[in-house]
Amino acid sequence: MRHVRGFDVVRPLSIGMLVFMMMPLVFLPLASIFIFGTSNGLGKFWAALMAPEAVFALKLSMATSFWATVFNVLFGLFAAYVLSRYNFWGRNALIVTISLPTAIPTAVAGFALLLLWGPYGTLGRFLAPQGIQVMFTAGAIILANVFVTFPLAFGVIKPVFDTMNRSLEEASATIGATRWQTFWHVTLPSLRGAIVSGALLTFARAVGEFGSTILVSGNLAGHTQTAPLYIFAKFNEGQIEAANAIAIVLALFSFLIFSVLFFARDWLDVD
Amino acid sequence: MKAKEKLIEEKKVPPPTPTAPQNATSVVGVSKRFGNTSVLEDITFDVAEGEALVLLGASGSGKTTILRIIAGLEQPYTGKVILHGREVTELPARERGVGVIFQSYALFPKMTVEKNIGYGLRIRKRKRKEIRETVNALLKLVQLEEHRKKYPSQLSGGQQQRVAIARTLAYKPEVLLFDEPFGALDTQTRHHLRREIRALLRKVNVPAIFITHDQEEALELGDRVAVLNKGHIEQIGTPFEIYNHPATEYVATFLGAANLLEAVVRNSSLEYGKTRIAAELDRERFKDGACVKIVFRPEDVFLSKSEFIKPGHHKISSAVVEEISFVGAYERVRLRLEKNGGDDCATDDQFFLTTDTPESQSVKSIIATRPKPEASSTRLRVGERVVVAITSFTVLPSSESK
Repeated sequence: MRHVRGFDVVRPLSIGMLVFMMMPLVFLPLASIFIFGTSNGLGKFWAALMAPEAVFALKLSMATSFWATVFNVLFGLFAAYVLSRYNFWGRNALIVTISLPTAIPTAVAGFALLLLWGPYGTLGRFLAPQGIQVMFTAGAIILANVFVTFPLAFGVIKPVFDTMNRSLEEASATIGATRWQTFWHVTLPSLRGAIVSGALLTFARAVGEFGSTILVSGNLAGHTQTAPLYIFAKFNEGQIEAANAIAIVLALFSFLIFSVLFFARDWLDVD
Repeated sequence: MKAKEKLIEEKKVPPPTPTAPQNATSVVGVSKRFGNTSVLEDITFDVAEGEALVLLGASGSGKTTILRIIAGLEQPYTGKVILHGREVTELPARERGVGVIFQSYALFPKMTVEKNIGYGLRIRKRKRKEIRETVNALLKLVQLEEHRKKYPSQLSGGQQQRVAIARTLAYKPEVLLFDEPFGALDTQTRHHLRREIRALLRKVNVPAIFITHDQEEALELGDRVAVLNKGHIEQIGTPFEIYNHPATEYVATFLGAANLLEAVVRNSSLEYGKTRIAAELDRERFKDGACVKIVFRPEDVFLSKSEFIKPGHHKISSAVVEEISFVGAYERVRLRLEKNGGDDCATDDQFFLTTDTPESQSVKSIIATRPKPEASSTRLRVGERVVVAITSFTVLPSSESK
């Protein structure tokens, strides 16, 4: 549909259309966070951000997401190795099960954890008499994060394992390397990109987790209240500014992570 | 783990004594099955120190499996693998110390050229200085000094192959195993690299086993060639032997074009129709009245317009020229042999022709090739009658070939 003078009308039209459609859907909601949050001056924004409960909520979110990420990357690596190297009965069933948490509503995930670990839960009722309380702690938040981000790292790492050239590992073995040396020097470097992007995805998703966290954490300000829970709580209390300050931080944070994912792709897969 | 690595090093200490020549690699009675299918049957061969052996076979002949069994990447069903007198059949790949040059080279993509070459020494925990010196020497040997900091993806196919070879030479391999080393390269590079590898192997004096399906490559690369067919060795010998004295019909037809004629043994010589062909025959193997096959190459055919045959040439029959084609370096003539009498072994498919493919066709024609000087001194026309003689031939039992 090229114009006679060589001017392509479709191009600017379609780009304009795309941006226009994204305006009310993505750009404007994000922009309002920043407009609202800074409308009373940066000083107020900073004060809201530095409130002890806000700082705690951010720190807790980072810490719980970090540990959930560490676990899920290691687990994803291990699961991807086993499931792409060995063919066994029930292999596909395992792959489906690992991928399941993405499809389960987060509230259901939190509820399921409560039913297992809660004081009257399947396992929790045996732990409660020993004085072991799993739910309503930072540990519970990590458990919830692990559950909802379970398949993310695995999903990124497994395809790389599947397509990896097996002769590299065979070459390493004939050269004299042990399995561990081969994994460390040959397999792992090829997975570097997948591991980093899997970790970033997991972390970003965990930091934002709300549905399951609110059920299992107890939502105790200064104790088990993560950043998204803080936003929700402050909003309910009518403290829009306090909620907004944290919202800005979380928005910037996810923007940062996805910029890294997008622009560092070349670096991550560098040969 | 430490102890095992030590084993490898200690074993390297005594150099093979020159007085008692020892085989660098021996494969003894190896067989292999995948499920119920037998892929290798009783494979036995030796590779001498510094020798290059080529395993030649079509795809599915089992040649790759032999290589993988020697390397320890595959376990044999029966049989032994011996490297410099040490039986390694039960050892895992990493304790064998063989160098495998994979078809895809399998260079580590995230390591530079020098890291790739030094890998074998790094995992053996050698001293930095020793690693650096070895890597420098190898880079010089394979002429990649200015590429040392590059990654494999930045190198050409030939350069990658040299890195792969240097990477195995770093740990002084017992034997080098090349898996279809030139499969991924274009013809020009192939010829060049073949010569290069031959020269390199002579320089480092490491025994090598090549596998290939390319007969020309096999003849050029190997000190000896083993021809494989459906999991067993048909013949093993020098390129000259297997080309000029093929032991089986398969070998004859797999290595280039061959003409096959049915004949009968009579009074210790051969009879083709009414023509008697003098031949020195093994009396035990070829009894009187037995049917045999005469195998000869197109270049062993001599065409004459007169009945006069040079001494030493064996007259076969007269023939009519069916087709003449010019193939560059020589002229190719297809001839229809004229029947010259009864033949006890005659079937409808009395004449056999094989072209460059191993399948023999039952066309009653033979192929002759003539070098340029001969072609221009005795010009032939289609439809012309000529006398066909052969300068050399091989006799094979007829039944065995079926």
